[in-house]
Amino acid sequence: MAVSRRDSVAGQDVLRRVGEASVLILISLADGPKHGYALIQDIKELADVELGPGTLYGALDRLERLGLIEPLPAEDRRHPYRMTAPGAAALRVHLDSLERVSAAGRLRLQLGGV
Amino acid sequence: MAGPQSTRLVKTALRCYPARWRRRHGDEATELAALLIRDGIPAASIAMSYLAGATREWLTPRLGQRRSLSAVACALLVSACSVWLLASTVPARAASTSQPPSTSQPHCRPARPAPVPDVASAPPNEQLIIREAWHDRPC
Repeated sequence: MAVSRRDSVAGQDVLRRVGEASVLILISLADGPKHGYALIQDIKELADVELGPGTLYGALDRLERLGLIEPLPAEDRRHPYRMTAPGAAALRVHLDSLERVSAAGRLRLQLGGV
Repeated sequence: MAGPQSTRLVKTALRCYPARWRRRHGDEATELAALLIRDGIPAASIAMSYLAGATREWLTPRLGQRRSLSAVACALLVSACSVWLLASTVPARAASTSQPPSTSQPHCRPARPAPVPDVASAPPNEQLIIREAWHDRPC
């Protein structure tokens, strides 16, 4: 079940239910293709999250099934992945949604005066 | 953990994945594990992550494919392996766990069985009470 670019652009947040690991992988791939080890390193640096290799491959398979990433030709034994156009659109929608929630949370904290 | 032992542990975990997955990711996953071990991540932790991934992989139905009984059995086997692996890697922690001295009674202390009345003729609720009477306190 791949996600079309139109679906993502239409504002449906398809990343809402895929889990944190998948979102972090997409964010990591946003600046260019990476293979598994590079993804783990980058995500640790980016978000201070240590992805287990089992979690990584599960998330990569899920994102690929959704058509949000695609594998590139293998380099030696490593398979780099890159984000697809629907993947980029889905990530934008998800980040926009997170920003709205974040802004609302901050506003409520101010109003609550806690 | 020594190198060959770590490699064997990870390879054992990777064997729990379906063949289709191993054909696609097996070599890369082995290399990735070696790199992570080199970075100081414990092999047991990597193996556990792969075992959890293998369980998910067996339990996630593919497109147009129903989850078969053998898949569920494999997933259960993988889960059992995970528990065994966890138990074998943390025996010292488990052994050193000590209870603080307590004056209170243990939660489930067997007591002398009370004389059992005619259970067959008792209504259902009474049967339940009779079973609980074997302990000092209900569990």
